[in-house]
Amino acid sequence: MTEISAPARPQRGAVAYILRRSPVAALLVALFLIAALLGPWLAPHSMTDTNLGQALQPPNATYWLGTDALGRDVLSRLLGSAGIAAQAFLIVVLTGGVLGTLFGLVAGGIGGLTDLVLSRVIEILQGFPTVLVAIVIVALLSPSLTNAMIAVGLAAVPDFARVARGVAIQLREREFIQAARGLGMGEMRILASEVLPNMVGPLIIIASFDGAQAIMWEAALSFLGLGVQPPYPSFGSMLREAQNFLAIQPSLAITVGLTVSAIILGLNLLGDGLSDYYDRSDK
Amino acid sequence: MAIYLLVRILGGVVTLFCVSALAFFATALAPGNPAAVLLGNLATPERIAAVTEQMGLDKPLPIRYAIWLKEMLQGNLGTSNLSFKPVNDLVLAALPPTLELAALSLALAVVIAIPMGLILAQNRDRWWTRPLSGLVTLGISVPGFWVGLLLIVVFSMTFKLLPSGGYVPMTRSVSGNLRAMILPVLTLAIYLIPSLVRFVRVTAANVLREDYIDTARAKGAGAWRILLQHVAPNTLIPTITYIGLQLGVLISGAIVIEIIFSIPGLGRLGMNAVLNRDYPVIQGVVLLAATGYVVVNLLIDLAYSLIDPRIRTR
Repeated sequence: MTEISAPARPQRGAVAYILRRSPVAALLVALFLIAALLGPWLAPHSMTDTNLGQALQPPNATYWLGTDALGRDVLSRLLGSAGIAAQAFLIVVLTGGVLGTLFGLVAGGIGGLTDLVLSRVIEILQGFPTVLVAIVIVALLSPSLTNAMIAVGLAAVPDFARVARGVAIQLREREFIQAARGLGMGEMRILASEVLPNMVGPLIIIASFDGAQAIMWEAALSFLGLGVQPPYPSFGSMLREAQNFLAIQPSLAITVGLTVSAIILGLNLLGDGLSDYYDRSDK
Repeated sequence: MAIYLLVRILGGVVTLFCVSALAFFATALAPGNPAAVLLGNLATPERIAAVTEQMGLDKPLPIRYAIWLKEMLQGNLGTSNLSFKPVNDLVLAALPPTLELAALSLALAVVIAIPMGLILAQNRDRWWTRPLSGLVTLGISVPGFWVGLLLIVVFSMTFKLLPSGGYVPMTRSVSGNLRAMILPVLTLAIYLIPSLVRFVRVTAANVLREDYIDTARAKGAGAWRILLQHVAPNTLIPTITYIGLQLGVLISGAIVIEIIFSIPGLGRLGMNAVLNRDYPVIQGVVLLAATGYVVVNLLIDLAYSLIDPRIRTR
């Protein structure tokens, strides 16, 4: 099939472009990845073992970022939270990305009545209050990271679907697609092998923005008690615990909030940088 | 026009139908027999069987759904498993705080974000818009509820200027009501503003590239006149659509902020219901919020089919 393959887009230059144009994004995302992947090995103390004798310590030589109300090391718990945030990212991008891309690809690629019905479904899904979906799912199953994040993943479906549909419609009448059709390839096979590779760039942009949203939602839903359950650390559950000690130790809530904000900022800046990159290579 | 109206209303009804089915089946299929939960310590197999029959839980699911739907359509949301109060009363009592929070926050966000977005778009080549745009990106990245916690630390705990939570009904004290609302409203508005500014800025920047803007400029219109007479009106319609779509975000945000500031609204009601598996209340809250979402979006669609005749003919 090489002779009719799609005009390749430069994917490889993206990393170099980000490193050069948004070093802050690269740094923040790199730190996040290191914390998420190596957190359990980097953590100086246990993430869950309580030690009431050491409760609410300010930052010191043993506990670099202090301890929480149950005497657990804040730095270790932040590293654990980064791992949870990465899981939230993956669950949302996989649920939203796979379902959304499939929806959009089929809607835009086939068109007609299929497009009309699927577009309507996407429109209804779009903007429906995520917390309500999470409440329903958690009421049906039980509070957990996966259940809460599936709700957020469903909310991300329309974003991916819109982009996939747009690209599919654009490409439908291009020569290389016509050629594939002329060679007798089925519509589904054309969508999978010819159209899909051409939407990777836009989909990666959406993944970084929606991934940032996923981490924010993980924090919010775990804060509400719908997500990660104690004693396990997550940015949301740490903030929930810190809220009770705002008057005594406000630095706890400030540290956790700054950390999660920095991760989300990194991913948003990455999304901005990638948008610039793909805009440029389109021209 | 009539067909357009009909299609939109039909779409809204279908959405609500789906939501009602989802709310019903999600709670009906959830683990745990509500009869046993209701009886608590008093549960014996005989009593559970009796209450199961009394509650109609022994009937097949589709029939239970039909009965439930009929009650809903008559405006009867059932009885709480927890407090044994009618869900209607609970929901109606929780509605005013939520509506007040949402309405005030949205109003504040719109008043700040729309002028800010327009000005950023008009001056996009000036140096001073760069830090402001950076601030917007930063704002999008900061969890809204964390901002709420920071505001509590600063204004309630450090300077003791404002209450850190609670709700005072309007009917009891207007000033007390507003004082308690300042921090929650500020929190929710700060959460809504960045994405709204971003949207207005992009939309207005696109309008500024239109030919009719060049024409107006050639005819000698000043920058402010172009902004107010040409850019603002043409930015407004997409912005209203966007706000309609953001309604879900507004509802979600209000729920989270009610929890932080201990406001006895729909969000708190719903969250307590989830944690206590109080299914009738969950259903009531979800249905009410979904209805609000669908109805407001419908009204927005209708409103600009009146403002912009091009939409009707599509």
